Amino acid sequence: MTTSLKKLVTAVSASVALMGAGHAAADIQIGIAGPMTGPVAQYGDMQFSGARMAIEQINANGGVMGEKLVAVEYDDVCDPKQAVTVANRLVNDGVRYVIGHLCSSSTQPASDIYEDEGILMVTPASTSPEITERGYELIFRTIGLDSMQGPVAGNYIASQSPKRVAVIHDKQQYGEGIATAVRDTLKDKGIEIAMFEGVTAGDKDFSSLVTKLKQADVDYVYFGGYHPELGLILRQARQANLDAKFMGPEGVGNKDINTIAGEAAEGLLVTLPPSFDEKAENQSLVQAFEAKGEDPSGPFVLTSYAAVQLVADGIEAAESTDPFDVAAALRSGSFETPIGTVQYDKAGDMKSFEFVVYEWHSDGSKTPVN
Amino acid sequence: MQDLLYFSQQLINGLTIGSAYALIAIGYTMVYGIIGMINFAHGEIYMIGAYTALIAITGLTALGLAWLPLILVVALLCAMLVSSSMGWAVERVAYRPVRGRHRLIPLISAIGMSIFLQNYVHLAQGSRNVGFPALIEGGFNFGSDGNFQMSLSYMQITIFVTTLICMTALSLFISRSRTGRACRAVSQDLGMASLLGIDTNRIISATFIIGAALAAVAGLLLGMYYGSIDPLFGFIAGLKAFTAAVLGGIGSIPGAMLGGLILGVAESMTSGYLSGEYKDVVSFGLLILILLFKPTGLLGKPEVEKI
Repeated sequence: MTTSLKKLVTAVSASVALMGAGHAAADIQIGIAGPMTGPVAQYGDMQFSGARMAIEQINANGGVMGEKLVAVEYDDVCDPKQAVTVANRLVNDGVRYVIGHLCSSSTQPASDIYEDEGILMVTPASTSPEITERGYELIFRTIGLDSMQGPVAGNYIASQSPKRVAVIHDKQQYGEGIATAVRDTLKDKGIEIAMFEGVTAGDKDFSSLVTKLKQADVDYVYFGGYHPELGLILRQARQANLDAKFMGPEGVGNKDINTIAGEAAEGLLVTLPPSFDEKAENQSLVQAFEAKGEDPSGPFVLTSYAAVQLVADGIEAAESTDPFDVAAALRSGSFETPIGTVQYDKAGDMKSFEFVVYEWHSDGSKTPVN
Repeated sequence: MQDLLYFSQQLINGLTIGSAYALIAIGYTMVYGIIGMINFAHGEIYMIGAYTALIAITGLTALGLAWLPLILVVALLCAMLVSSSMGWAVERVAYRPVRGRHRLIPLISAIGMSIFLQNYVHLAQGSRNVGFPALIEGGFNFGSDGNFQMSLSYMQITIFVTTLICMTALSLFISRSRTGRACRAVSQDLGMASLLGIDTNRIISATFIIGAALAAVAGLLLGMYYGSIDPLFGFIAGLKAFTAAVLGGIGSIPGAMLGGLILGVAESMTSGYLSGEYKDVVSFGLLILILLFKPTGLLGKPEVEKI
């Protein structure tokens, strides 16, 4: 009995090992790690949709160095603890390229593991500057930094010459980081900051905060964080007749804010990456998304597409599938992607990335301001 | 003058949330009073009540019903019905089989039930925040000074009034009705009550059903007041209501009401005068202080060890 069990176990593990080996020889696995579930899953949808499309199209064009790309998908729920588990699973699965993670607070701990294990990571959405500040070799992004986005928002608010501004954040790495950047920009411009304080992510009652904003008599409120909280703040502020203009980063700019805030979302200002889907050269790509019934207009769809494409182009430029060679190729080359020409600096940040101020409408559409 | 208005506004905000906490806290306190266990799945019952109400509202609006009071009453009844059956089922499935065992066993069973229900709603309803339609809008504005104006929304009034009605009905039920008297008897001595011919299983089920129905009322009210719900929002609300129940004296119904109101006001004053960041610190700090210095709570009676 024991021996037959042993035999069975050996047979199974041998065949698993064989399958794994066969898999690795024929294909290049691309891990996609982001929130499939949880409060910010809609951003995950953008990420997965963009990355899948890129893999599909690259494979249709003959793959990379004759090999096919295979997507391996992981759900990190945008939770830092879960992100570490996902990163370890990726290592065990033998994946060597990751598109992700999405939330900065997930990307930060996961990137430690990727760097240690020699896995190349391109995040299509994490904007926290700290991620690329540590001198890591294998960490890249296809999005700008809070230190670029914050000043865009701060300068816009300052140009409207407000009396007093309140800056609120959700105490998370992304939200607080960008809120701090906005506050510093405003301070440099000599604008009075009436308050700078945090709320708890996941909280639902903001009536006290709204009352406080009313008393502080602010005419602009900047919120660093995601849409579930800002949606409720907008709605509760409208209930309480707070007359102030709200502004937020790209983390609030998606249609779900409309289902929460309803009419109150009208006139919200959002800094977003420019609408890459409106560029003339991307129209055939946009049609490909629409043919699949997917929406390419979300801020992270084409950044995720570009992330996959950069990995593929990097492998071809390096003529090697070793992540370190690919990283070196990415730093030295210049690549044409749907988000424009990408060149990397030493840290792994794009040399130029632009954020644009949009006005959000209650039907979920947006129009550029300025 | 403005300071006074500001204070009163924060007081209104706090009392609104506090009365909803009190509604949820009743479920904790009644169950504890009768079988001495903490029903950690109660927050999830509240969350399910909110989801049911939202589904009912959406369905009724889709059917073309436009008369608001009818929509609200039907949604409330649906939510109470579903939550009560859930409360009853949870007791039957997870607590009755382990009743009378070591205290830890029902507690673990309750935590398991809570995780199960959370994940069930995750799967069934999706994990996104869903917006709750603003059915009761507008309110009174008064007492303006400078740029600050106080406001009392119709929604806040609805929450106060509904809570008041529920609490009065509950007190009358407990003090006057036959089942209420049986409830009190069972909470004093379960074994003796059953010797005297009270069907204790039925009374315990009734307790769960009443607690769940009140939590459903809170679910509908707070869903509308906040504006969005998600599968995880019952957890923290449950913890807050539990704190309220302990604060007022667990096992005591007036205690739960008082505890809820104190907690709500403490939270809104902390956000109002300190910072929203410290809101949870203050509410759970309060819980620790009460447990340290007055474990029986504000209105709880010291437990006499029965021999």
